[in-house]
Amino acid sequence: MYQLNAVDKKFPGVHALKAVDFEIKRGEIVGLVGENGAGKSTLMKVIYGAYQPDGGSITIDGKAVRFSNPRQAMDHGIGMVFQEQSLILNLTVMENIFLGYEQQFVSYGVINWKKMAAAARHQLSKVKLDIDPATITSELSFAQRQLVELAKVLTLEERVDGDLVILLDEPTSVLAKEEVELLFKLVRELTNRASFIFVSHRMDEVLDLSDRIYVMKDGAVVDVVAHDEAKVDAIQHKMVGRDVDKEYYREQKQRPYSDEVLVSFDGVSDGRKYRDMSFDLHRGEVLCLVGTEGSGREAILRTIFGLETPTEGSVSIKGNRITRFNAQNGVALGVGYIPRERKIEGIVNGMNVYENMTLSQMANYSSGGVLKTSDEKALARDWIQRLAIKTPDVYKDCGGLSGGNQQKVVLAKWRSGGSDIILLDHPTRGLDIGAKEDVYEMVRAMCDDGAGIVLVADTLEEAIGLSHTILVLKDGKFQKRFDGRPGEKPSLYDLVHHMI
Amino acid sequence: MNLTRLKPYLPWITLVTLTLLVGIANPAFFNPVGLMGLVADIVPLFIMALGMTFAIYIGGIDLSMQQMANLVTVVATVYLAQFGIAVAFICIITGFLFGAISGFVTTRLYVPSFVSTLAVGFVALSGAKYLSGERALSMDATLRNESFGWMFTTVAGIPSELIIAGVLLFIAWFLQTRTTFGRALKAVGSGELAAVASGLNVDKIKILAFAISGTFAAIAGLMFSVKLSGGDANLANGFLLLAIVAVLVGGTPLTGGVGGVINTVIGTLIVVVIRSAMIYLEVDATQQQMVFGVVLIAAIALTIDRSKLRGIVK
Repeated sequence: MYQLNAVDKKFPGVHALKAVDFEIKRGEIVGLVGENGAGKSTLMKVIYGAYQPDGGSITIDGKAVRFSNPRQAMDHGIGMVFQEQSLILNLTVMENIFLGYEQQFVSYGVINWKKMAAAARHQLSKVKLDIDPATITSELSFAQRQLVELAKVLTLEERVDGDLVILLDEPTSVLAKEEVELLFKLVRELTNRASFIFVSHRMDEVLDLSDRIYVMKDGAVVDVVAHDEAKVDAIQHKMVGRDVDKEYYREQKQRPYSDEVLVSFDGVSDGRKYRDMSFDLHRGEVLCLVGTEGSGREAILRTIFGLETPTEGSVSIKGNRITRFNAQNGVALGVGYIPRERKIEGIVNGMNVYENMTLSQMANYSSGGVLKTSDEKALARDWIQRLAIKTPDVYKDCGGLSGGNQQKVVLAKWRSGGSDIILLDHPTRGLDIGAKEDVYEMVRAMCDDGAGIVLVADTLEEAIGLSHTILVLKDGKFQKRFDGRPGEKPSLYDLVHHMI
Repeated sequence: MNLTRLKPYLPWITLVTLTLLVGIANPAFFNPVGLMGLVADIVPLFIMALGMTFAIYIGGIDLSMQQMANLVTVVATVYLAQFGIAVAFICIITGFLFGAISGFVTTRLYVPSFVSTLAVGFVALSGAKYLSGERALSMDATLRNESFGWMFTTVAGIPSELIIAGVLLFIAWFLQTRTTFGRALKAVGSGELAAVASGLNVDKIKILAFAISGTFAAIAGLMFSVKLSGGDANLANGFLLLAIVAVLVGGTPLTGGVGGVINTVIGTLIVVVIRSAMIYLEVDATQQQMVFGVVLIAAIALTIDRSKLRGIVK
């Protein structure tokens, strides 16, 4: 019914989709899996019209179509249920459901709210959600909002003749187990009206729900597996291109950490995102914070760096109790922060390699406020060589480097300044496999040099593979601690069990 | 060659093209004495534009400069008799403090700079009106010549005003390109979030940037006041638009991070050429602002970095 034929998409420096063939049949649920950066989101965006392909064609029932924006795709029955929830929280449920399509309820220039409420109730009944359509969206739970999103997309049924294709992007990431089951039941029921494309990191869910599974790697579809033949190991193997093994995370290089405490949290709360956190980070330790989005992991990193001031409890860094929280203090005590948004928080786009490397430590490369540029360049040349950073020279704008090399520049910035408490927030997000392995090597090397690392990993496998210690958080509260000595690592299931 | 590659050279190309056009239409334009006079005439504007560069370089703007200069013309005229040449320090400190207040309001109270500086500008304006009693004041000619007469001499045939402009340009250029402060300005202008995540004290840097723009506004006001031998709350009116135009046509975009004070030199010269062209073409004074308004919009549209705006302009 809906087909992509050899669809190609390129961005500067990235070949995001390489001749992708993709097909979805009437009433089918198709799973889409791949690592971060494999091209899943690009493919989704092409399907729902946010990106236009550079090559190849899209056909619906054999007829070629071309969407210049999501609205045109919607007019052809293709709707997207967004992962980070596209609802506007201060509007009512019905206003959200019909956002942009209010015209049908307008008479004499005025919206007939009763009519809209009735129509909204009809949509909500499709997803078995019994709430007042006039409820302000922010009052709903995450699970309810997810269903409202689905109801919003299902308005396509009335609007469009023909079949629907509905994309579900990580719909289960914020849902509890019972809610996931409910959603799946609903999706299966709805297949008589629509086909679904289901994207998730949770392999077991994809296997459970999908009729067929597309496996993506490096921008290409590497396999299509039918439901009955699907096996987690085999799919993972295809996704990564090899078995996910101990080698990958350099487990043989994981050494015991020392007794020296670098960072100590004692009953710390920030009043909003996490509460009553207590832990110690030691020299040579990789401590990983694990939890779903919104579990408070990032806020803890920001507190250690000094960007957020806690309301309760005490934070000590290298034995100094912190009273004034600001980033300058954090840097002075040896904390280095590698944020998630590499391109806007990690590097300064528009500044060159050496300017980026010395940004956190300009005092060491200046006298009386005047920069010693030749020292800066010498530093940059040294670290370009040490970390094998691919750049033509020290004058190259960091915005023009590849993701992996940008990450190396950020790491060089902190390591060259002697930082020994390194906060890594999704350090491998969007990197290709080779660059990821470089980051893993660097994590091990930093530990050997006596640094302590607090990690918020991109995947659970990464968290397990890299860390000495895992703290599982849920809704800002500590759940469970795992020790991850090589060979005695906790399993994925152990962690997920405490996360949701 | 595509437009992106051409972009950094656009101000130079504009300047040369305009100069040639004006020169061909009116060969007298190239008379060295006339040219030097033309340039010397524009020194207060140039100094104001230099200050504006700092505010725009970090991605902000300083709309208080004109009112600050107005205030300073009054301060200079009122206190000249009492303090002599030391009135210059009073003026500079006034500018620095008002600028710092704008910076404080922007960073600590989270008021966008276009509003905070606009508001501080009105405070300065009302200060100027209060201090002057809403009258045009004039300086005592002898006192003025004793303290500031040197501004109108020439050194080796070069007007002292131009030398002052040169010295200030050097200071601004040195600050921007050779110091840790200048590097921090660039980081804030190009990627503020990354600057924060590198542990820079971004608030302090921004406050200082606005204090510097205030200081330059004060110097411009002082020169203006000495030149016209007096002060009043409207003396520097009309300069704000020109200063913004000078910075933007010079190639420092409103989004900040690129360009800088050298670009502002080019931008100011472009403004001079456009202005003399309009005088030659006998464009009415009332219509000149209109032309600069259009030039400003064109300059913003050409220089702004759309990737930084993320599609949202309010």
